[in-house]
Amino acid sequence: MKTVKLLRRVNISNWLNVDMTKVTLNEKIVFVLSFLILNNYLFFSLNLPLLAIKINFLIFLFTIALYYFKNFTENFFLKIFFLIIIFISLGTPAFEWDARSIWLFHGKVMFHGNSIFSLGDSYSFSHIEYPNLAPAFASGLAILLGYWNEIFPKLSFTLMFLPPLILINSFLKNTHYLIFLTVVFFTIGKFLFNGWVDGLIAIYFVSSAFLMYLLFIINSNFYRNRLFFYLLAFCFFVSLTLIKNEGFALLLVLFTAAFLIKLYKGEFKKNILKLIFLSTSFLPIILWKFFCYSKGIGNDYINTNILFNLSPRIGDLNNYITISYFLFLNEKFLLALILYLGSFWAKFDKELFSFILIVTSMYILILFIIYLSTPYDFYWQLNSSAARIIRSICFLLAFFGVYNLRIIK
Amino acid sequence: MTARNTKILFLIICILQLFYLFNFRSGFRYEIIKDPFSENSGISYAVSNEVIESKSILKRNKIAHFNLSTKLKEDTYFYQRSLEFNYPVIAKQSSEFIFFTIEEDINENCEVIETGKYLKLVKC
Repeated sequence: MKTVKLLRRVNISNWLNVDMTKVTLNEKIVFVLSFLILNNYLFFSLNLPLLAIKINFLIFLFTIALYYFKNFTENFFLKIFFLIIIFISLGTPAFEWDARSIWLFHGKVMFHGNSIFSLGDSYSFSHIEYPNLAPAFASGLAILLGYWNEIFPKLSFTLMFLPPLILINSFLKNTHYLIFLTVVFFTIGKFLFNGWVDGLIAIYFVSSAFLMYLLFIINSNFYRNRLFFYLLAFCFFVSLTLIKNEGFALLLVLFTAAFLIKLYKGEFKKNILKLIFLSTSFLPIILWKFFCYSKGIGNDYINTNILFNLSPRIGDLNNYITISYFLFLNEKFLLALILYLGSFWAKFDKELFSFILIVTSMYILILFIIYLSTPYDFYWQLNSSAARIIRSICFLLAFFGVYNLRIIK
Repeated sequence: MTARNTKILFLIICILQLFYLFNFRSGFRYEIIKDPFSENSGISYAVSNEVIESKSILKRNKIAHFNLSTKLKEDTYFYQRSLEFNYPVIAKQSSEFIFFTIEEDINENCEVIETGKYLKLVKC
């Protein structure tokens, strides 16, 4: 009884300096879901008992049930469309290489209680140095059910789309949200259910860019004075880096863009502590890479051979034309670009336009460097990955095009 | 166009996109959705018959590790899929249990443990 009385006296909201009354239920659900996804990864990293992983996943499923049934008519279209995507996911086999041999295989190894570092040289094709947030979550679902099969573990990848999809629903309503879902289906498409993580990286990148925009770029104190949104941003940033290697580069680009804009506006000193706090979101991926390095496992792309591969290609104009052809001449990129330019032509928001332009330009520059320095066959590398990799940028351009339409009065 | 009509238009676009993804981009199978949680659900759509056979041979003979013949190792698809599909039965260079294709000749000192439709498991 004494403990209960004590707890009643403590106002947790004040203690955390968070005005929880101004945070909607959906935003709280987004935070809980994204936190539980990271928690699952942490439990695997710390080798905690299976019971902890099961409880964590059960809470995740319970939170989704709460989101669905608290008020079923709210966000109705998202709820119905997401159920259809779950249905498709449960009827689709994972037969493509990336899904099977990297992501789901890592999940399977974790499910059997083994470290992926225990795999011998024969398994080097599986890129064991890749981050494992999504495989750990697939493994969590399999641990909850008690077995592994070829179908249901990838459902967990689909469930990971929910936090960003719900988050965006707090900012885009009705028709604008339907336009946003059109953009999701168009740019992410089959990656919503096929067991690859490229769709996840695109949606977490755009959500992170959006949170970065709300917290550092937009001229409003509504979000930047609320610790809740910093914690939410922290969860999304960490998730972005732990989904795939690109996530690290994408988050670095977001921080650099925010840094440059703040420096240009002369507001850098005012925000430095907040940027430092959020930059701690790089720590988990740095620790993971350090751990891989300590085990003698390097990266195919970023290593001492980068200059050796880059130097013969950097001076040849044809290489730039080939990369541009593969990256930009696809219908998704071109339509997203038209939507972005059309939206900003209708209503020009200098800060938002500059932010997206800086982020896009920097990431494209990184992609050119990565492709020019690939250790693999140049043409094969572009042909097998360019259309996938550019999806994050397509989704970024299209999303902010739609978001800019929303703020047209 | 009124706001209501715009909403209906984008709702129809969303439904058409989902239908397109379902019908043309997913590889959706009714046989799988009938029972997506069974142990062997969808395996015949996920990997080849040779890979499935390798697993059933290993399971029947309760073998914990295996190796592949040089010819099977050169088949990148079979090599990678058989390794990940058969996990936690692990692939080991030093394993005495080796898979050969049915056409391959084996060393006289080796003993055939089981012969399947596509593969034979040999102890050397």
